[in-house]
Amino acid sequence: MIDDDRLQHLLRSAFPRTADQEPSRDLWPLIVNRIHAPVRRSWLDISLAAAIAIVLMMFPEWLLLLAYHL
Amino acid sequence: MPDELDRDLLRLFVQGDLDAFESLFKQFEIDVYRWILRIVRDASTAEDVLVEAFWRAYRGRGHFDPSRSFGAWMRRIATNAARDHLRAARPRAGWSTPDHQIPAPVGSDRDLGEAVALAFRTLPPKLQVVATLALIEEQPYAEIADALDLPIGTVKSRVFRAIRALRKELARLGIHP
Repeated sequence: MIDDDRLQHLLRSAFPRTADQEPSRDLWPLIVNRIHAPVRRSWLDISLAAAIAIVLMMFPEWLLLLAYHL
Repeated sequence: MPDELDRDLLRLFVQGDLDAFESLFKQFEIDVYRWILRIVRDASTAEDVLVEAFWRAYRGRGHFDPSRSFGAWMRRIATNAARDHLRAARPRAGWSTPDHQIPAPVGSDRDLGEAVALAFRTLPPKLQVVATLALIEEQPYAEIADALDLPIGTVKSRVFRAIRALRKELARLGIHP
């Protein structure tokens, strides 16, 4: 039987605490590029969103299931 | 986080001024990066998530109230971006496990640690984020609650649920904690 303290100890061993690191490069240019990139919305995304909305209107109880997994 | 900011700078940011945004980025970059790194636990991934978070911040600047803390607002955005990354990268519980991920029979702390790590990665991202920050990084509940925009009670409840889910997943792997 592993108690909570032991479980936490094992977790910390498996995932050591992160050190105070810094980004390895200048990320600002990537952000600027991202800001200036045109927003693309594919028909697939729009169709999928519409399909999900329709399904949730037909089966509203599925919203809880979806919310749990989000 | 450095958060004694000039209101005018924040107003300019809300108006879309890129120079103001760059100034904010320079001030908060490292703190936000370290926060993201605590959640995603990989330096390269943390850089990608950082770019995503600041892009989201710029896109959502119209929702920012310059009288509030930019640091706290940015940390919430970063937490959401990191959680979205975990969601996309998450191994699905119940799916067939690749052979290389099946832990060896548990005979030592190291084996047990690997099993715990494997089980931890299958937690739902919203539990994984809270459990990482609370149990591994030992961040105060109040700070986690602020970053997730949740009541402290909900954070405690999620930590409890994460431990319970972890035990359940370990049991599925043949370990009965």
